[in-house]
Amino acid sequence: MDPRETQIFDGLNEAQKAAVTTTAGPVLVIAGPGTGKTLTMVRRIVYLVHQGVQPESILAVTFTNRAAREMKERTAALLGQSAGAVFIGTFHLLGLLIIQDNRSDDFSICDRDEQIELLKPLVGGSARKARQVAGHISRIKNYLEPDNPSSLTVFGGGRDGVDADQRELYNAYQAALRERNAFDFDDLILKPLEILVDSRIAQSYRDRYRFLIIDEYQDINPAQYRLLRLITNARNNICAVGDPDQAIYAFRGADIGNFLNFEKDFPDAARITLSENFRSTGTILQASNALIRNNVKRIDKMLFTLREQGAQIAVIDAPDDRAEVEFIIREIEMRMGGTSHLQMRKNTAERDYAGASFRFSDFAVIYRTNAQAKALEDAFSASGIPYQVLGCRSGTKSREIEETIAYLHSLIHAGEAGDPRETSGREAKLLSPADFFDPRADTVMLMTMHMAKGLEFPVVFITGVDEGLLPCTIIKEDVDREEERRLFYVGMTRAKNDLFLIHARSRFLYGQRLAPMPSPYLGAFPESLVDKTVIPDRTRKQEEKDRQMGLF
Amino acid sequence: MRFIADFHVHSHYSRATSKDMCPEGIWKWAQLKGVRVIGTGDFTHPKWLKELDEKLEPGGDGLFTLRKEYQTGDVPVSCRTDVRFILSAEISCIYSKNGKTRKIHSIILAPDFAGAARINLALSKIGNLLSDGRPILGLDAKELLKITLDKSPEAMLIPAHAWTPHFSVFGAASGFDAMEECFEELTPHIHAIETGLSSDPLMNWRLSALDRLTLVSNSDAHSAAKIGREANILDTDLSYPSIIESIKTRKGFLGTIEFFPEEGKYHYDGHRDCGVSLTPKETIHHGHLCPVCNRKVTIGVMHRVEKLADRDHGFRLEGAPSFTSIIPLPEIIAEGLKCGVNTKKVESLYFPLLEKLGSEFTILLESPLDDIERASTPLIREAVTRMRTGNVHIAPGYDGEFGKIRIFGDVERKEIKGQLKLL
Repeated sequence: MDPRETQIFDGLNEAQKAAVTTTAGPVLVIAGPGTGKTLTMVRRIVYLVHQGVQPESILAVTFTNRAAREMKERTAALLGQSAGAVFIGTFHLLGLLIIQDNRSDDFSICDRDEQIELLKPLVGGSARKARQVAGHISRIKNYLEPDNPSSLTVFGGGRDGVDADQRELYNAYQAALRERNAFDFDDLILKPLEILVDSRIAQSYRDRYRFLIIDEYQDINPAQYRLLRLITNARNNICAVGDPDQAIYAFRGADIGNFLNFEKDFPDAARITLSENFRSTGTILQASNALIRNNVKRIDKMLFTLREQGAQIAVIDAPDDRAEVEFIIREIEMRMGGTSHLQMRKNTAERDYAGASFRFSDFAVIYRTNAQAKALEDAFSASGIPYQVLGCRSGTKSREIEETIAYLHSLIHAGEAGDPRETSGREAKLLSPADFFDPRADTVMLMTMHMAKGLEFPVVFITGVDEGLLPCTIIKEDVDREEERRLFYVGMTRAKNDLFLIHARSRFLYGQRLAPMPSPYLGAFPESLVDKTVIPDRTRKQEEKDRQMGLF
Repeated sequence: MRFIADFHVHSHYSRATSKDMCPEGIWKWAQLKGVRVIGTGDFTHPKWLKELDEKLEPGGDGLFTLRKEYQTGDVPVSCRTDVRFILSAEISCIYSKNGKTRKIHSIILAPDFAGAARINLALSKIGNLLSDGRPILGLDAKELLKITLDKSPEAMLIPAHAWTPHFSVFGAASGFDAMEECFEELTPHIHAIETGLSSDPLMNWRLSALDRLTLVSNSDAHSAAKIGREANILDTDLSYPSIIESIKTRKGFLGTIEFFPEEGKYHYDGHRDCGVSLTPKETIHHGHLCPVCNRKVTIGVMHRVEKLADRDHGFRLEGAPSFTSIIPLPEIIAEGLKCGVNTKKVESLYFPLLEKLGSEFTILLESPLDDIERASTPLIREAVTRMRTGNVHIAPGYDGEFGKIRIFGDVERKEIKGQLKLL
C-alpha cells in the first residue's frame, strides 16, 4: 500500500474506512455520538485529494464555526497548503460566498445586535420586544418562503396564519434592511436561493463542487435543505453525515425528516453506520442507549464501546438549586485538589485525587434551558473557579465585563495614542460570542444541551434533571417528547468518564419557587448502572454556618 | 538611597483579606512598619485598579504616592515617611502540564497604569478578574509570562512563595522540579523568586540552579499589620526602572529581611488535622503517610529543598545579597510579657514603642538596646538581643500551622528576671 494511504487509514475501523472510501455517488453516514465523525470526514477529504480530486471541488459544510475551525485545522495538518482550497465552513459562509460571487455592490451584514437596533424603532423602542420579533422573523426565514410570509403558520406562534400587524412588521424590517443594503444572517441562506433560481448559475456551482460533505445533516432546516438541493443532483457525490438521535434543532425549523428521507432523495445512496463509540465508558453508553431506545422516530443502531465499564452514573438528589451547584463546585475542587488555601482546609477529609491530572476544561455543566444559567453562574463567579458560559453571556455579567473592558481601554489610551483594535471584515461578523474568549483560556464550561452538541468532557454534570425541565414542559405542555429525550441523550453522551445527573427538590425558576419531582427519564436506566445519593435538607445550624462563611 | 520594599500584598478585593487593606490603610501601616516602597497588590482587579487610579498620583518614574486628601491615618512623627506605591498583582495559574495538575502563583510588577490595563485586558479574555483580587486562571504560567512581557515589556514576573507545597513553582504537590520545566525557553525572563516565609536564602543557596536568581522576600499581607513581615533592602533611586534593574542585576539589592524559616507554615512536613509534625527523614521513614491516620502527609519546604538540592546545608553563595532574620515585634513583646500576640497588653506597648523609637524595622534592626529597654522592659530588650543573634527556639511550622516561637523557657524567664533584679 502507498505509505500515504496507510496514513489516511491509520487508526480507522472498518466502518470508518468504508465511509472514507465510498466516494462514487451519494452516501449516508449514520454517526452516533463519539464514533469519530470528524476524524472520518477529515480523512475522507484527504482521501479524495490523494485520489486526484481537485481540492477546489470539495465542499464541506459544518453546523458551527467551531466545528469548521476544527475540521480546517485537522485537514491542514494532513494536507498542508492544498487544504486551503477546500471549502470548509458553515451554510452561512457558503451563502456569503455565493452572494459575493454574484453581486458587485458593497452590501453589509447586519449582526444580531444591529438587527435588534433596526427593529427597536419598529416595535416602540423595547429591546425585549425587538428580540422577540427577531426570533419570529428568523423562524419565518428558516421555514422558508420568505416572499410569502402569509403562507406560514409559525409567525406569532399561532396556527391561524399571520396577523396583519406582524406582516407589516416583517415588511418594514425587510425595507429597513434594503435601505441599508444589508443582509441579516438568515438572508445569507435566502439570497443565494434567489440567485440559484437561475439554473445556469446553479449548474455552475454543481460543476464547481463535485464532492460534498454535509455534517449534522439531521439538523438542517428547510432553507438550508433547499440550498443544498439546488447545488446537487440525484447522482452527486454527496456525503451526508449525522445522527437522527441527536436531532435537536426542531425549534429553529430543522426537520429530522430530511435525514430519514435522504435515501428517498438520493435513491442509490449507500448507508454506512459508525457504531463504535470511542468516547464514553460502557456504563455511560449503556445508559444512553437505554434512554434513546424509547424513541420511535429513529434509525435503530446499537452503539458499543471497547472502553472499560467505568464508574456508575451518579444520580444526585439535592435539596435545592443552591445545593446543586455547591455539589458541583465541591466535586471540581476535590478533583483539582483545591484551588485556594481556604479550599484546601475544607477538603482534607474528602476523597484523594492526588497525582491526578485535571484541568478546568475537563468539566462541563450542562442544562436544559438558559434560565438555569444565572444561578450556576453566580455560584461559579463567587467560587473564583474560572468558567465560561458557552454561546451567550447573561445580561448582568456581560454588562459588567463590557464596562470593565471600556475602562481598561480608557486607561490604555490615556497612556498612549492610537487604537490597536483591528477592523472587522464581513467574515468576522459571523463569529459567535464564544470567540470573545482567548483560545488559551482553560475554564469550566457551562452550556445548554443545544450548545453541547459535538463536544466532549471527561466529567459532565447535568443539572435540573427534574420533571418539568426534562422534558421541558414548564413553559409549554405540548413539547415534542422525542426531541426532549434526544436533548437529554446529547447531554449524557458528552461525558467520557464521569456523569452526574442532578435533581433539586426545590428550585427557583421563572420567578417562582418550584418543588419538582425527579425527571421521568431517570426511570429508563437499569438500576445496576446508577448510584443514587440523597443530600439531606439543610439544617438550621448549617444555614448559620453558611452565613458566617459568607461574612469572611 | 537605602530603603525597604515589600512588593507583594493583597487588597480588600482578595479573599479572606482585611478591610484595612485599602490605599489609606496600606499607606499608614507601611510607615508604622518602616516600608518605603509598597506593592499595591491586586492590580488585576478592575475595581481596585479604579480605586488606585483615583487615590494615587504619579510620584515620578513609575512609582505612585497617596493623594494628600487620603493621607488621613494617624502616623506617629517618629515613623512618618513618604511612602511610594508600585503596581503589583498576584495570579494563580491552575492548569495541567506533563500529566499533572499544576498550581503556580506569580507576582507581577507593572511600570504604569496603561501597562497594567493592557495585561488586564488580555487576562480578562482568559478568566474572571472580578471575583477575586488574586484571580484564578486556567492558564499555563509560561503563557502568563508571555502575555505579561508582550503587553508590558517593562513588567516583571516573579514566581511567588516558590516552595510552598500547594501553589508554587517548586511546590511538592503541584509544582515542578526545575524552572525550565515550567517556563521553558522563556526561563531567562525569570530574574527572581520569592522565597516565602518557610524558606530563607541559606536554604535556597543549596540549589546551584538558583544561583543566577535574585532571592526576594515579601509579606504577602492579607491585613495591614502583616505588611513587611518579610521585605527587601535596596539601595537605588526611588524609581520603577531602578528597582527592576536592581532585582535583575542585584546591583543595589542589599538583601532581605526574613522570617526564621521554621516559623513559616510549611517548613516541616506533617498532617495538621492529626497534629503530626515530621522532619523530612521521618516522613520518608513513614512512607509519606501520617502515622496517626495513614493519609498522605503534606510535604513541606525543607523536604522539597533537600530533594532538589545539590549542595550541603550551610553553603554560602559568594557575592550574594545577605539576609537578616527577624521575629515580628508584636510576637517579641508577647514573649516578653508572656501573653498572647493579639492582646490589648501587646498593643498598649507596641504603639508607644513606635512613637518613642520609630518604625518597627527601626526597632528590630537598628535601635540601641538601651533605648529599647528604656521604652519597654528588660525582658523585651533581652528578646530583641536574642532575635538579633539568632538565639531563639522555634517549633517548626507544618501543613499550614505556623511555627511556635519560644525565646525564653519558663525557668529561664524567672532566672533572667532574678538576675535583672540583682543588677
